[in-house]
Amino acid sequence: MSKKLLVALFSAASITALAACTGAPATPQTTAAPASETSAASTDTSSAAATTDATTEPATESPAELSGEITYQTWALKGDKFTPYFEKLTADFMAEHPGVTINWVDQPPEGYEEKLLQQVNSNDLPDVINISGTGQALLFAEQGFLMNLDEAAPGLLDAYIQGPADQCTFDGGRYCLPWYQGTDLTYWNMAELEKAGVTDASTLPTTNDELLDFAIKVAQDSDGAVKVLPEAPRLGTLSNAGIPLANEDETEWIFNTPEAVALLNKYKEAYDAGALPPEALAGDWQGHQAMFKQGKVAYAPGPVGFAGELQADAPTLVENVQVAPRIGIPASWGQAIVVSGKSENPELALAFADYLTNNANQIAFVELAQGWFPGTVEANGNPESFTSVIEDPLTKSALDIASTTIKDAQTEYPTISTDEGDTFFKQQVALVLQGSLSAEEALQKSQDHLNELLNS
Amino acid sequence: MKTHRWFTPYLLAAPAVIWVLVFSVWPFVNTLVLSFTNARPLRAPEFVGWANYARMFGNDQFLNAIVTSVVYMLICVPFLTILPLLLALLVSKKLPGIGFFRTTFYFPVLASVVVVAIIWGWLFESQGVISQAARMLGLVDGPTDWMVQRWPVIAIAASLTIWKGLGYYMVVYLAALGSVDKELYEAAALDGAGAFKRFLHITIPGVRGAMLLIMALIVAAALRVFSELHVLTNGTGGPGGYAQSLVMLIKTTGQGFQGRLGMASAMSVALFILTIGPLLLVGWLNMGDSIKQFFGSRRKKKVIA
Repeated sequence: MSKKLLVALFSAASITALAACTGAPATPQTTAAPASETSAASTDTSSAAATTDATTEPATESPAELSGEITYQTWALKGDKFTPYFEKLTADFMAEHPGVTINWVDQPPEGYEEKLLQQVNSNDLPDVINISGTGQALLFAEQGFLMNLDEAAPGLLDAYIQGPADQCTFDGGRYCLPWYQGTDLTYWNMAELEKAGVTDASTLPTTNDELLDFAIKVAQDSDGAVKVLPEAPRLGTLSNAGIPLANEDETEWIFNTPEAVALLNKYKEAYDAGALPPEALAGDWQGHQAMFKQGKVAYAPGPVGFAGELQADAPTLVENVQVAPRIGIPASWGQAIVVSGKSENPELALAFADYLTNNANQIAFVELAQGWFPGTVEANGNPESFTSVIEDPLTKSALDIASTTIKDAQTEYPTISTDEGDTFFKQQVALVLQGSLSAEEALQKSQDHLNELLNS
Repeated sequence: MKTHRWFTPYLLAAPAVIWVLVFSVWPFVNTLVLSFTNARPLRAPEFVGWANYARMFGNDQFLNAIVTSVVYMLICVPFLTILPLLLALLVSKKLPGIGFFRTTFYFPVLASVVVVAIIWGWLFESQGVISQAARMLGLVDGPTDWMVQRWPVIAIAASLTIWKGLGYYMVVYLAALGSVDKELYEAAALDGAGAFKRFLHITIPGVRGAMLLIMALIVAAALRVFSELHVLTNGTGGPGGYAQSLVMLIKTTGQGFQGRLGMASAMSVALFILTIGPLLLVGWLNMGDSIKQFFGSRRKKKVIA
């Protein structure tokens, strides 16, 4: 009898364990609970008061109305630079709301997606979460793991820049509070270009066609010694050139167009002329920025923060660096704050998320994270409110340019994009540049593969 | 007096059994089950039968990755089986200061594979030291593109694996050499056997066990190569993904919010089968005589019966 009992217990444990690891999320305990009218009202109040000092400004209505404990999670922000900021912000909020406990956790840069998945699967998602990219947020929203902000706090998102907020729409509801935002610019190494006889910055290209012609000419004039282009085309290169990647409702990839064929053929011509180093065929974003810092290429697109990196990593390069608006359509990307739909204290979670991302706190944050833009309408209407503290002239110049171009910036990738798909595309494009595949074949193969991934 | 109850042995064995079930059997069974589903993160999996396997074998990327992994193994196995043995013979002599060389040869084992791969990348890139040296010697005309060519990049990665593994396997051979009877060498020398014959007929049989173990370890490790190729190709697998190993492909397929866990699991099962084959071969080489003897005695019994 006892043996049978042991066997039964063991079998039950095994079955439970197996069932828990099928890749499906844990069964949601509750549905997303909209915050009460009180909290919605309180968030409106905090938005209106966001122009006051971050340390004294009440983010929510009355301290007595909030109670309990929540946890908020940031991504890769713990360190000498930001820890004091978050500790102070948390302490200030708790001081304004006695009886409230706010816990801060930060996750390391590597494996954040996997960490979030693990938290979902173990039903351990923090109450307030830093999400990178709308794709992640939409997938969570689709599964009912996030709070619908339009429903929980109508009008709250009016204070935030609308582009990123609107991108985070699922089934008519919006789920993200836009946090720090970025765009990219063009960096030129004039010292390198001088070797090819280019000395006048006003003659530098401003369109993609001009850029490729310029790169070919520089390579020819310098006998291949000066290379301009740091990376082979990726999917983002197509969208930067105005070629749509997916249809409007993002149900199909449609980038195999004559314009895309022409662009790849032009890159092939540039590669043959020696305008790209061979490493560009297996490069990535960090790789091409590293090549610029090492003086191996004379051009690189990069964010505002890249100016600060140059100052730190390649100070001898800085005096010869020229910053200009991004060639083609500038890219936009950003971080967002979302509220868990499973939070046991949704009122407090929403109030804190609003406090974390209100105008004053976002300005205070980007004053530390120089080169980033706040996610609020008010701050973006008055860039001086966060750029005045910047002392580095290159960063200041980059931020000034970016503050005008960010309005036209667009996300490079649709929300259906995956690393797997982009890697496949880069692999095919590399074959085109090496001459073992035609541009038409590469585009068709990539488009078919990405559509297969989408529908599988 | 009875000192234990009926379940005492089970209780004592339980930690080990639970460990094996949780960390070996369960993940394996789970992978097997997932390979027959269309599982993705945050979505309930559906049973799809053999669809993942059918799609996998019709996929150029998968077939290329298998070729890359097998070629990698074929390069690494002979080099890492023979070279460490020669190195061990070299440092097994009792000479003054030989300890310094033993230690130095072991150093690469301690280095991080990622760091070494980054340095390897610098050495072999188009403007790297090796490329410049080759140009100075007139071996190449201009900047090289080895890092974006399939076979050169696989060879560069394999050279890294071999360089890093030499010291480790050298130590294994040193231990094995210590157990080879010295009198055999003396007797063979008296009979007129030269150094090569002594190596062939005494050393190699003497370290046969260690050699087969090393071969098995290299087979399993080389088929699962990841870091070297991943770092050297920036995670892209190079043009066409031709230098992508099977583990790299599994990672690319299964990672992230949109990861295809079902397909990645099917590839993992294929990798398991691919690894088991050479391991069985090594096992056969090691235990071949015993196995033949076993089957031989069974046949004899049948004949007698």
